[in-house]
Amino acid sequence: MSRRTYLLKRVLQAMFSLFIIATILFFLFRLGLPDPTAALITEGLNAEQREAVRVQFGIDKPLWHQYALFLWNAVQGDFGVSFAYRAPVAEIVWERLGNTMVLMLTAIVVAYAIGVPLGAWLSWRRGSRIDTVGIFFGLMFRSAPMFWTGMIAILVFGVWLTLMPTSGMRTLPYEADGFFDKIFTLDFLWHLILPATVVALYYLGSPLLIMRNTMLEVYGEDFIEMARAKGLPERRILYNHAARNALLPVVTQLAVTIGLAAGGQVVVEVVFSWPGLGREILNAVRTSDFPLAQASFLVMAAFVITLNLLVDVLYTTLDPRVSFK
Amino acid sequence: MTMKSSLSLMAMGAALALTGPAWGQERIPPVEILTTTESYDPIRYEGAFIIAEAWRELGLEVTVSPTEFSTLLDRFYTQQNFDTVIMGWSGRVDRLDPQFFLGTLDSRQTEPGANNPGGYVNPDYDALFDAQSREFDIEARQAIVHEMQDLYMGDVPVVVLFQRDEVVAYNHNTFGNMNAMAGEGLYSEWVPMEAQPLTDRKVLRIGGPQEPDNVNPLASTSVWGWKWMRLYYDRLVRLSPEVEPLPWAAASVEATDEVTIDVTLREGMTFHDGVPVTAEDVAFTFGYYMDAEYSYFNAYLAPLDNVEVTGDLTVRFNLKEPSAPFATISLSQIPILPKHIWEGIEDPSELTPEQIPTVGSGPFTFGQFSRGEIMTLETNRDHFHADEIAIDGVEFMIYADSEGVFTGMQTGQIDMTAWRMESGQIPLAEANENLTVISVPDFGYYHMTFNLRHPAFEDREARRALTWAMDRERMVNVLLDGRGEVGTTVIAPVNAFWHNPFIERFEFDMDAARAGLEDAGYSWDAEGRLQR
Amino acid sequence: MILSPSLREAFKPLRLMLQDRLAVIGLMVLLFIIAMALFAPVIATHPPRQINEVEDGSVLARGPAGWMLQPSLGPVALNGAAVAGGQALIVGRDGTVYERAGQDWAPVDAGTGADLNAVALRDDGTVVVVGAGGTVLLRSGGTWSEVPAPAPADLRGVDWLDGAAAIMVGAGEEIWQLDADTGEITELESPVGRGFSLRGVARDADGTALMVGERGLAIRYDPASGDLELERLGSSRDFNHIHISPAGAALVTGERGTLVRRDAPGARWETEPAPDTRALRAGWIGDDGHAFAVGRNGIVMERDTEGTWRLATTESERHLRALLVEGDSALALGSDRFVVRLAAPSRDYWFGTDHLGRDLYSQNVHGSRIALLVGFLGAALVVLIGTNVGLVAGYYRGRTETILMRTVDVMYGIPFEPFALILVLLFQPSLLIVILAVSLLTWRTVARLIRSQVLSLRERPFVKAARVAGASDLRIMYLHIFPNVMPLVFLELAIIVGVSIIAEATLSFLGLGPPHSVSWGGILHDARLSGAWRTAWWWNLPPGILIMTTVLSVFFISRSLEVVANPRLRARQ
Repeated sequence: MSRRTYLLKRVLQAMFSLFIIATILFFLFRLGLPDPTAALITEGLNAEQREAVRVQFGIDKPLWHQYALFLWNAVQGDFGVSFAYRAPVAEIVWERLGNTMVLMLTAIVVAYAIGVPLGAWLSWRRGSRIDTVGIFFGLMFRSAPMFWTGMIAILVFGVWLTLMPTSGMRTLPYEADGFFDKIFTLDFLWHLILPATVVALYYLGSPLLIMRNTMLEVYGEDFIEMARAKGLPERRILYNHAARNALLPVVTQLAVTIGLAAGGQVVVEVVFSWPGLGREILNAVRTSDFPLAQASFLVMAAFVITLNLLVDVLYTTLDPRVSFK
Repeated sequence: MTMKSSLSLMAMGAALALTGPAWGQERIPPVEILTTTESYDPIRYEGAFIIAEAWRELGLEVTVSPTEFSTLLDRFYTQQNFDTVIMGWSGRVDRLDPQFFLGTLDSRQTEPGANNPGGYVNPDYDALFDAQSREFDIEARQAIVHEMQDLYMGDVPVVVLFQRDEVVAYNHNTFGNMNAMAGEGLYSEWVPMEAQPLTDRKVLRIGGPQEPDNVNPLASTSVWGWKWMRLYYDRLVRLSPEVEPLPWAAASVEATDEVTIDVTLREGMTFHDGVPVTAEDVAFTFGYYMDAEYSYFNAYLAPLDNVEVTGDLTVRFNLKEPSAPFATISLSQIPILPKHIWEGIEDPSELTPEQIPTVGSGPFTFGQFSRGEIMTLETNRDHFHADEIAIDGVEFMIYADSEGVFTGMQTGQIDMTAWRMESGQIPLAEANENLTVISVPDFGYYHMTFNLRHPAFEDREARRALTWAMDRERMVNVLLDGRGEVGTTVIAPVNAFWHNPFIERFEFDMDAARAGLEDAGYSWDAEGRLQR
Repeated sequence: MILSPSLREAFKPLRLMLQDRLAVIGLMVLLFIIAMALFAPVIATHPPRQINEVEDGSVLARGPAGWMLQPSLGPVALNGAAVAGGQALIVGRDGTVYERAGQDWAPVDAGTGADLNAVALRDDGTVVVVGAGGTVLLRSGGTWSEVPAPAPADLRGVDWLDGAAAIMVGAGEEIWQLDADTGEITELESPVGRGFSLRGVARDADGTALMVGERGLAIRYDPASGDLELERLGSSRDFNHIHISPAGAALVTGERGTLVRRDAPGARWETEPAPDTRALRAGWIGDDGHAFAVGRNGIVMERDTEGTWRLATTESERHLRALLVEGDSALALGSDRFVVRLAAPSRDYWFGTDHLGRDLYSQNVHGSRIALLVGFLGAALVVLIGTNVGLVAGYYRGRTETILMRTVDVMYGIPFEPFALILVLLFQPSLLIVILAVSLLTWRTVARLIRSQVLSLRERPFVKAARVAGASDLRIMYLHIFPNVMPLVFLELAIIVGVSIIAEATLSFLGLGPPHSVSWGGILHDARLSGAWRTAWWWNLPPGILIMTTVLSVFFISRSLEVVANPRLRARQ
């Protein structure tokens, strides 16, 4: 199989996955969630008025009709109008996705920037006390639920020391012209520090341990032995030869992590009141806001699938040992 | 006393165990209590378990199902698929008139989707309901309303569990003359008009976790939309802080007979774009609302037949039937829309957020609404009430949750809370020397509604006994930390004129509950399960 | 010791594990947590969801910095107090009577075990005490005697009138007049007669008695004429108590912060705005209008002579029931059962209590059960599905493999956390749904890993040999191939236990755990929801530490299992 057909096949598979997920989601939401107009009763709307709202939402039509409409519009990039916001879903989703990604990417970059060199260093000091301590802390932050570390961080830095803001992305009131105007400010950075640190600490363990373990494997390979035999200094062997070869699994893990980042860490967004996609989907499902819930979830799924695809492509490009199958 | 009766009960149980189940009696089928999830409302959630525990003691098989709120609403109202439900009605100013809450027990509201899902049918009650609705003499109407409360209480189709105080706070260093209103708290339409700035900053900053669904007066279905819009739209009548109707955009409101109301508009009013407010605008607005497929106000407009323009500044409302609340409540809710802007809009429900007109004639003018962030208003200096307003504008900060609001209060970002504080925040607010904490009684209520079609609840005596077995005092004292009131009738005690204080109270009494069941022919089988 | 080779092979992972110090620590910690879960009911000090309440004979004294808690007068509530002629008395539940002796309070044996509700003291030292079950006690000349009551009424209030007469009121609208000289009680007929509860009575300046009760009921009794008349105080709230100063200033206190005041005899009754809406149980007013009112939840309010009521600082949650005011000193007395809310760790509550007075130590101990149950059951389910899918796909290949692995591919496209949340939201939380939500997606990893192993194993000579020998597919899969993927299965099991525990905690933290269960995530959910977690650190810390420790121990174990599963790693160690 040629590389091109392989890629084409993988892309088709990815699209198929997305279609299946969209279908499952559609029916799961429509059949599992209550009537979105039920909440209007407490606002005093009677049955007739609610029926009018249902017509307006387009949920009075037969299910298959709605499904076909949903697919047709989704293909064209139109996810409809949110029931709760009465605004186009796409706008809301893009904005929330931006908020989520800016937090998650910061955290991931920090985690990998620290974790990768640290892991290489630990492998170098394998078996020493430093190694044990490093593994211990890496695993410890991985074991602590993020909502808890987040709450403790807020308690210590926000409430006791009153050093950091504890909720939201900006101090209200503020004026910002668009997303980038909003985030390129000191105030935003100030709000970003706590949540990003909490997420980064959680993610730190995985590049650290992967790097350390693959380095240990690489040490056993022939070319390292060769380098050693040549009498090259250990430090140079570590960074120039071993580390370069150990990066592939780390990069893979990085791509997978970024893919999952769109799903966000719902709990971190909840704890820090971060207006991200994860919190939005939770609200949308709770209020039966079908268009918003579907679009949010599809965007998340698309992200995961794309990044998984990228990982495969990466492998075929970087590692000649992988055959196209 | 307690000891003795429980002993006799045990003796009876023993006797039954010997003789086997009483002849021909059947176990009462299990019941499910639907309530909110803990995250939605911890009070209603824990309250359900308090009730369940006592009912189990009475030999009923009880499960508690905490349910997502939208599912709960769907099962309760739309499907009527429930045994018994713990729910609530919020206290909006327009519900101070007894019409709405009394209507929730009207037998004509029992169809799916309407407000009486429990299915209480009492022709006498319905007749009185119609009578009070038509009664223009307020004393006579009060007597009927009191009688209705007495009438339904004996049947207990619904148990008012408690009224919960809204505990709100404001910063007394930045603004003064902040008067809370029952059911509305501080975020009433009057606070922005009455607040006195104490510093150089003359913009009142309000913070809350909720925001409007939209600011389209023809599409908003959220109370948070209307709480905001009423600041920049005028109404013919406004309800005063003491909840009495005050002529507002109307100079006078006169009922010429039971079905005709003549309204004369105030002179010299203009919309924010400078166009004068005329009788045409008023007639247009009411007609526009009546023609709309649905709107927040349909129920208020139901008695209205048509509106005639009788002069430049005079309109006549012709009603289909006499309606006591129309002149006070309905006229105080409908905003006056500018005809010249809205008459060109074919389908107002299709407007996108950017297209929604925001021109009113109210005491404030619309500034901006940035979703999830901020809403602003500026004081309308041309308004007839402008001289009374001391502030320059209003900013509403939209926070993600009440934690954020509380932090905003503590750090001085906002001057007052729009929504109640969580119980754990109250002591912290009380300890903060900048903040004044106010408890505002509510006239909305939390209730348990029985499904009268269920075999455990179809019998009046059983309902009465089960009501005695609800420790509502404990709910208020333990769950609300005393900040609330044990429920009485659907008309809250704080609504003193309409509330009937002399109704049966059903104070928690397990012995009375058992005795009531026994008297009504219930007994307990060998396993202690209730049977009839 | 001689072991069969296969058995020895099976123990090898364990032996290897025991060489890894971190793994040993992990194993010990995990065993400890498992023991905690198994013996939770034994080692918990309280039922985890029990609302802990305490009754206490509390005394609060007014001081410059607020009302300070004094040493308790014992375990029962104090209901009433009276002071006159230099003497002071306190009465309470279970026949409790205290008399002031210098700076202290000395218990007095009044010869009854009934709950005592109110006391009235005459300047000459004559005392009348009333209580539940028609208890009427009289002390004159230092001896206590019980006056026979005409009915077992629950008497709530008492006061002396002129001469030897005392008036008492009861919860069934009873109005009795006692003649202290003869010891006789006369029943008076109430003008209402609906059985409304009367809760307080006081002698007015003109010698009449004014009694108050529920639903705004007020009745005036003129002992001279014997007339009983209704009086309107302008409120329909439940009144709990009335106090009238010697000159005739009067204060009626009631439920929902009800304060009704009168300046002087004959003046209008005014309802005054109270700074708190909770129940007021007792009040005191001086001739100059200086007044106090006390109530539930430690509320003490004070009215200055200008007429403004202010909440005083108190240091207690207790329910105050009576006031004892003498000159400048004032005591507030209580308390019926009050909830021990947000108590810091103490000898009674090792990890403190939450906002409903529930013991957090017991909750944390019980929380281990759900964590481990979901952790292990979820992981077992994941491994069961994953291993079988992997085995079947890898062994049969062809269309079976395509279908199974395409399914796995689709599942890889679903983000785990949001999906689990949605699943629970759709089906309403229960233990089963939580376990399903945790495991429904995670088996995808196991399936992929096992399949790739099986792919290489099925080409090995021993599999081919078995096939030639005519072994069935099932036999080959489960007896020949499966044992070889066992180490990997165990490794995955350990990792997924950790993942499941965190996932369960996350769901519970978002309020999507099984209802009315106790779990670590749930404790943190409650803490955040109540808003009290900003101050109550004891609420936040333990559950998080427990989750972290448990998951960490599992990870340590899995790390050494990895060595077992991966021979390349093993070789290097």
